[in-house]
Amino acid sequence: MTSSFLLSLTTFAYLLCTVLYLAGTIFRFKPLLSAGTIAGAATLLMQTAGIGLRWVESYRMGYGHAPLSNMYESLVFASWAIMIIYLVFEWRVRQRALGVLPALFSFLAMAYASFSKDIDSKIQPLVPALKSNWLIAHVMTCFLGYASFAVSFGISLLYLIRKRFPEDPNQESGFIVFLPGVSQLEWFNYQLVLFGFLWLSVGIITGSVWANSAWGTYWSWDPKETWSLITWFIYAALLHARNLKGWKGERVAWLSVIGFGCVLFTYFGVNFLLSGLHSYAR
Amino acid sequence: MSKEKSAPSAVLGWLSSLKLTLVLFFALAAASVIGTLLPQEISLPELRDHFGPAAASLINLLALNNLYHSMWFRILLLLLCTNLVACTIERLPKTIRLIRRFQDPFDSQKLSRFGLSSSIAAALPIEQAQSVVESAVCEAFGRMCRIESGRAGGLCPFCAVSETGRWSTLMVYAVHLSVLIVLVGAMAGSFLGFKGAMNLPEGETSDKVMLAEAESVTELPFALRCDKFEVSFYDTGAPKEFKSDVAIIENGREVLKRSIVVNDPLTYEGITFYQASYGTSLKEAKIEITDPDSGKKTAMTLPFRQPVTIPGTSDQLMIDEYEENLMQVGQAIELVYGKQGRQSSAQWILIDRPYHGNRIENYLVRVTQTDKARFTGLQVKKDPGIWLVWAGFTLMTLAIGLTFYSSHRKLWVCIEPDKKSGKTIVTLAGRASRNAQAFEEKFEALRRGLENRLKNPHASHEIRGHKTDKKGTE
Repeated sequence: MTSSFLLSLTTFAYLLCTVLYLAGTIFRFKPLLSAGTIAGAATLLMQTAGIGLRWVESYRMGYGHAPLSNMYESLVFASWAIMIIYLVFEWRVRQRALGVLPALFSFLAMAYASFSKDIDSKIQPLVPALKSNWLIAHVMTCFLGYASFAVSFGISLLYLIRKRFPEDPNQESGFIVFLPGVSQLEWFNYQLVLFGFLWLSVGIITGSVWANSAWGTYWSWDPKETWSLITWFIYAALLHARNLKGWKGERVAWLSVIGFGCVLFTYFGVNFLLSGLHSYAR
Repeated sequence: MSKEKSAPSAVLGWLSSLKLTLVLFFALAAASVIGTLLPQEISLPELRDHFGPAAASLINLLALNNLYHSMWFRILLLLLCTNLVACTIERLPKTIRLIRRFQDPFDSQKLSRFGLSSSIAAALPIEQAQSVVESAVCEAFGRMCRIESGRAGGLCPFCAVSETGRWSTLMVYAVHLSVLIVLVGAMAGSFLGFKGAMNLPEGETSDKVMLAEAESVTELPFALRCDKFEVSFYDTGAPKEFKSDVAIIENGREVLKRSIVVNDPLTYEGITFYQASYGTSLKEAKIEITDPDSGKKTAMTLPFRQPVTIPGTSDQLMIDEYEENLMQVGQAIELVYGKQGRQSSAQWILIDRPYHGNRIENYLVRVTQTDKARFTGLQVKKDPGIWLVWAGFTLMTLAIGLTFYSSHRKLWVCIEPDKKSGKTIVTLAGRASRNAQAFEEKFEALRRGLENRLKNPHASHEIRGHKTDKKGTE
């Protein structure tokens, strides 16, 4: 049993999980949704084992580092973080009809990591700049934030769809009626943005502390740093507007969509389009 | 006159407005986007090459090529700080007043106007109802605190409040304070500290730091000696570790010996040394110059950056620069020719490729031997503001967590007899600053529990008694 086998299996298991959630939502058949949850939890366990095994394998190769050091490993962790945040969220709010998009995002992250030609899945040794205990703290906190924003993005999309098709008691068909109401979706979105904002802040802070010991400066306007700050500004604006100006509903949902766009650019755009100190993340 | 009077308050109103906050957030975000898309810190001629003269002068005018250090970006940041301070000045007194008002007298009528309130009529004497309520509230919300009743005459009703997390409404101010602390720390660092670099060849000692800005040199109060520099590689050929063994020399005495590796800098007397780069430097070179007219060859030894007189003349030669790989053609030195009364000329001489272009003035130059040393490139930083930045970061983490996940919850209770029915009326009201849904659920659970207990106050005791009986028989 190797980590790459477990992680390949994880990719397909997330696809299965997505299909189960989707079928359950479209056919409004609750047992399928429960199956989706079970598939999601089982896949998460398998993925955890895969990540753990990869960690062990890196020690066997003599490199010995947490599997959080390049694009492949970060995508795997992103997919893991999205699923764990979604499952905890599902368990807290007891609402299963929202699983399609998070499961899809987890699958897409894994699929991209596994099938893209640009991404090397080999275990590589750490370059000197990455050799630090801050690696684990920084990557984990950032990706908890990103994953939380991903789930909030999914909920914002559902919110915007739900808003376009108001409840019609006569129309029994369609998955839209199966979704929670708009006010509930709005509340879920807000909760996930709060969680994401906390972790993004901690992620920027840990990155900054690390940069100070690795590069001798805690802030250097490196494109990755700057884009994480842009993301932070957008979500800070969302929180202020919602709490103090009473913005609710569509405007907040759109801000959450824009915020997640910034997250994606911070993650992919900066790596592939802009050059900077974070270049090892390719 | 009245217009003049209101001007400062109008300015304060604008400065403390949330509209300004949002505008600043979006403006800072947009500016930062531009900063990441346009190349930063490049010169005007380079800009012209990239974008053409018109666009280049516009970029230069708006300082978009040095955006994060430009005046207008700093003004945006300053406005954000002012906005924070103005908001605090405007809102904090209100928040404190609200917190202090926890012992304001109230009555059941006031409570019934709350968004979350409920009344229960119980056929119990007031004292008994009071003890039931006290134990139920204590279980669910915590200790109650009795408040002087607002009613002047007649029967004095029982009024009490139970509250938790009164401080949580202040946490958002702590977040804002932490932002200011970080920015003050950053300013302190840039005004009172410095950033620079030193290239230290193995075996050499220096106290001179080339400053990053202003291209000047500063002297440290102590010297640093590099004993050894090492690079190790993985099997894959990727670098594994860059390590400099250094010693601190103070007043001619060695006071500290340590290794500096990436991610593990050395700090001494507030000055930190980071492993940043490495390279090869030239100590001295032996050259042979040929006078093409007479064919006379002269051998010379040139220490790096020290002028040496050409034998038989009053002219001097000096090696000014050394490049490991000049324009991809290999090692090269830059020779400077000094002639009295004339401006000196300079010429690059290729070390590994003796060709006809290796000449200065009319001499042909050939490098016969070089004495090189490996140097370590250290980044040197003094940042007295860093502790403020760390303090700000710590406060920010704690305060954001507490702002999001703590809540000021308050429960009001009023118990009074109803003269008409002779019953005892229990009125409850509650309010939470955050996570109102969870609070409402808790409030509803309390109400249901109270209703049961007030209707049959002995129910719970009976069940308990029943249980003990059962245990006894078993």
